[in-house]
Amino acid sequence: MAELKINLDRCVGCGLCVSSCPAGALSMADKKARVDPDTCVLCGLCLGSCRFGAISIEKDHGGAADRDSYRDIWVFCEQRSGAVLDVGLELIAKARELAERRGCRVAALLLGRQVAHAAHSLIAAGADTVYLCEDAQLGHNLELPYAEVITRLIRSHRPEILLFGATAFGRSLAPRVAARVQTGLTADCTELDIDPDTGLLLQTRPAFGGNLMATIHTQIFRPQMATVRPGVLPAPTPDLTRTGEIVPVAPPEGLFDAVVLLEEVLTPPAASIADAEIIVAAGRGIDGHKNMALVEELAELLGGAVGCSRAVVDIGWAEYRHQIGQTGLAVSPKLLIACGISGSIQFLAGIGGAQKVVAINTDPEAPIFGVADYKIVGDCVEVLSALIARIKADRGL
Amino acid sequence: MRIAVCIKQVPSTNEVRMDPVTHTIVRDARQSVTNPFDSYAIELAVQLGQKLNAETWGISMGIPATERLLRDACARGLDKAMLLTDRAFAGADTLATAYTLSLGIGYMGGADLVLCGRMAVDGDTAQIGPELAEHLGIPHVTDVCEVIEATPTKLVVRRLIEGGTQRLTVRLPALLTVAKDINQPRMPSIAGVRYGLEAPFVALGAAELGADPAHIGLAGSPTQVVRTYVPERGGEAIALEGDAATLAERLLEIIEEVSGHGRA
Amino acid sequence: MPYTLIKPMTEEYQVYLRDESRTIGRAEAIAFVRNEAELAVVLAKAHADGTPVTLQGARTGLAAAAVPNGGLVINLMRMDRVTGLRRDAEGRFYIRLQPGVILSQLNKRIADKRFDTTGWDDSALAAYAAFKEAPEQFFTPDPTESSCSIGGMVACNASGARSYRYGPVREHVSALRLMLTDGQILTIDRGQVFARGRRLTLTTDQGRRLDIRLPDYTMPRTKNASGYYVKDDMDAIDLIIGSDGTLGVITQIEVALQPLPGAIWGAACFFERESQAIDFVIKVRQELDQVGALEFFDARCLKLLRTARAENPAFGGLPAIPEQRTCIYVELHCADEQEAARRLFGLGEMMTACGGDERDTWVCRTVFDRDKLIFFRHAAPECVNMIIDQRKKRDPVITKLGTDMAVPDRHLKEVMAMYHRDLEALGLEYAIWGHVGNNHVHVNVLPRTAEEHGRTKALYLEWAKTISQLGGSVSAEHGVGKLKAGFLRVMYGDDAISQMTALKRAFDPKGLLGVGNLFAPEGEGR
Repeated sequence: MAELKINLDRCVGCGLCVSSCPAGALSMADKKARVDPDTCVLCGLCLGSCRFGAISIEKDHGGAADRDSYRDIWVFCEQRSGAVLDVGLELIAKARELAERRGCRVAALLLGRQVAHAAHSLIAAGADTVYLCEDAQLGHNLELPYAEVITRLIRSHRPEILLFGATAFGRSLAPRVAARVQTGLTADCTELDIDPDTGLLLQTRPAFGGNLMATIHTQIFRPQMATVRPGVLPAPTPDLTRTGEIVPVAPPEGLFDAVVLLEEVLTPPAASIADAEIIVAAGRGIDGHKNMALVEELAELLGGAVGCSRAVVDIGWAEYRHQIGQTGLAVSPKLLIACGISGSIQFLAGIGGAQKVVAINTDPEAPIFGVADYKIVGDCVEVLSALIARIKADRGL
Repeated sequence: MRIAVCIKQVPSTNEVRMDPVTHTIVRDARQSVTNPFDSYAIELAVQLGQKLNAETWGISMGIPATERLLRDACARGLDKAMLLTDRAFAGADTLATAYTLSLGIGYMGGADLVLCGRMAVDGDTAQIGPELAEHLGIPHVTDVCEVIEATPTKLVVRRLIEGGTQRLTVRLPALLTVAKDINQPRMPSIAGVRYGLEAPFVALGAAELGADPAHIGLAGSPTQVVRTYVPERGGEAIALEGDAATLAERLLEIIEEVSGHGRA
Repeated sequence: MPYTLIKPMTEEYQVYLRDESRTIGRAEAIAFVRNEAELAVVLAKAHADGTPVTLQGARTGLAAAAVPNGGLVINLMRMDRVTGLRRDAEGRFYIRLQPGVILSQLNKRIADKRFDTTGWDDSALAAYAAFKEAPEQFFTPDPTESSCSIGGMVACNASGARSYRYGPVREHVSALRLMLTDGQILTIDRGQVFARGRRLTLTTDQGRRLDIRLPDYTMPRTKNASGYYVKDDMDAIDLIIGSDGTLGVITQIEVALQPLPGAIWGAACFFERESQAIDFVIKVRQELDQVGALEFFDARCLKLLRTARAENPAFGGLPAIPEQRTCIYVELHCADEQEAARRLFGLGEMMTACGGDERDTWVCRTVFDRDKLIFFRHAAPECVNMIIDQRKKRDPVITKLGTDMAVPDRHLKEVMAMYHRDLEALGLEYAIWGHVGNNHVHVNVLPRTAEEHGRTKALYLEWAKTISQLGGSVSAEHGVGKLKAGFLRVMYGDDAISQMTALKRAFDPKGLLGVGNLFAPEGEGR
């Protein structure tokens, strides 16, 4: 059975790991760290806390795949009504970069009803091969026919890496595929890197509630699968001179009628905070639902949008469409005014594109100050009120 | 008919911070709670259980103390609870967890409907639902925000997608992951709390489930965390100080600089 | 240079002219002081010029005590540091605060056991080390508005739901520093200086002696925040607590902490009839010792919340409110979950005995349910505020009209009947909620017209007389401020008011502080 090992020769008894353990499984005895195996959940959080490399997790692996027979990096390119989503192109560009270092090829999976016309854009973005599957059963984004085609392709071509956009469909389809081919999947990666020699994909994502970064790998099983949020990776400049092959794939085998789409209702795209130039964002530190009115008023005065942290949505002060972060929207405004936002990593994951950040928070240690250009240690309600009054006075309102 | 709800125990707060002196990670969790997203699944199970006259089960893989949360779910209206607990399950990633849960559901005789929260707040992966459905060999629908029709053989549901919703029919057995706000989870009543303490509860280990050791716990987990860290901070922020009026003045300058036009 | 602390009252400071009572005052200047030295400079200037001074915290008060009545506003929210911790011989913890510390932030720091210890002395740091190792602690007073300041809480002797068990702020204040208008400082530790009968002598740190004759009225034996606290042989610190910013400026406060109970569970219990609910309250009060809070929501309040939930998305997160007509919220503070469960089941049996059904309850045992119930309990005042704000647009005379009166236990049924009878007779729209455990409910009238507004005020004055005759208090927790000065005169009579004025003059000879608080300014009519 797998267990946490403490190398007593290396352990200096500093106790740092004890405070890092979420399960309370680590303690000090005789000036050395000790683990209670019944309490330890093997989450791996303590590995990063030890500065002396004294902690390791020993793992006896189950079935090992024949790793060397897997090759190339694949990207699933989701489309809606025949139009490939940008995230697919972003992923192809990333795959291209990783493939150059690994010395392998990039393939795109393009599935749908009538989608052949989009294949060239995938090659222009960096794909060497496009696996094209066209069928009426693929007309809507339904998991079962898609999973059948993709698993069939994986089994016959053995990709080393398979990437999905973390859209609603991607997040639903990828785990279905991963479970079927019995491999690992890492959700919502913000960084992907590769070991050029082993082909090991280093998948970095916010973890433990989005307050820490974790680097994860899939050592034995293949393919290595990951999803990446739209907008996290830069969009490629298409190279229309690139050439590649388009490989037709047989349609889904079987009739998939357990889930049937009756109707799709798309609300016309409201102005999204993803496109706003100025965002006034609220965190739980605004201290009360009523103070959302201040945030809204300032955003309106500045012609900007209202954003918020996940905590604010969770307690019902704002709707999900305002949520910024790993599980919300990635934004790239010219100016972000963060009011009472502490700045969890999960929030920071969504504001990487912001050009200028002003943070107002009463806690001088708030992590948001670490990424801010300007910081105000103080009560945001007071500052917002004064700023609103000032703008109104200037405009004679 | 049987409905199973997957429940995860998570820390009550996800606050993790750097100790300014030792520069190490300190977690501030004080209490373990039911994953908030799962509470919507519990409520849906209670409602559908009443409507379809189904037996409802809460199921969790976790440490023995998770019994408390399962009994709380029974206080809120579930009929029975099952805890899968074994040292051999420790270190499971989503694949191994989904496998283990599928064994538990098999042990209860299978379920016509499996419900999960859309994700767990401590992991944010949203993978358990689809992976569990695959292990059970049943279809799944994620991010369900409304159950429009329910019969013992078929559901009509609405799911959230980017920019809108889809209305779907789903043949049972199936698995749904439910979005926040699909319903308003009820609080237990005093009578419910009494029931929760007495509700049928079963705890099972790897052997009782007949689990394949190669597919559970760390051994059955393809992914592994190899490093955790608090990211480096960028350059130092410029501190703005003074009273509210002074700060407002400075902020206005910054805003005008960004919006590229001078003062009106 | 120093005088730049005082700023003219321009447009951007308009918010500092009002508080949560929604009264708008007037002022010529405002100062945001950061420490005692700055405060002394500002006070010296005001003292020299004879400028009236209104003290201000987070402006969450409901009696307009922080609303200026001309002159200078001194806002204390920049004095917001936690300046130390102390541990006494019995192991009890005390925390030293500047007046601008916000309650919700203090609570979070206590819960997280995280303080900025810059400038703390060795003994405070040692206490902090012990605090980190000690069982979880909490500061018990919990006024509905948790964004209030500690200074404001002490100034009005604030309470909250948990005052039922732990008493008002007064009972938790162990030391104060008070700066008088002439800049001299009174340092008062509880248990050090007592009155002899109704004579009290205080000496400032600078050596000035204040000889004070305490008024001779007798305070009601209920929860009370009306007028100066006076009693034979009283502790001097109690005179300052609840003095509504009329005696001096509180610059430092030390409060005691308590170990957090092992299990805090809440139960909202719904009843068909208000009489059943009141019987239940009386039974719980007699039979159950582990009660932290005992709160009341009447049928009209529940109806208001049902409507708000259906119509206003901001209240969409409220739990679905059952059809029953009255709700009693009971909070159990127990040593552990086993005890809490026993007491909870006991509550269920008491409900049955009073004609209720234990299925008609919401039990909260988790942080998420607690947030839901807090939202439920706080939604009523927010709803009323929103409706009033709408009506105020139609007629600016209309304001929120809430009472804050308490009576002794034996008169509970009687006053509840009086409230409903009188309000229904006048055909007023109203909702009642509050701290029924202390026989202290807030009647909130929502006047539809200026005429109804006037009638309500007249009714409240009548009630103030009745409540005073029953041995009750006209302001049990909000303080008197400016809005309830008339009630104070009804409660204690003209002589008492004159004695209070004299007492104030001993501290503030020029009569500069908190003009209009407790009593109308001298020279102005009643």
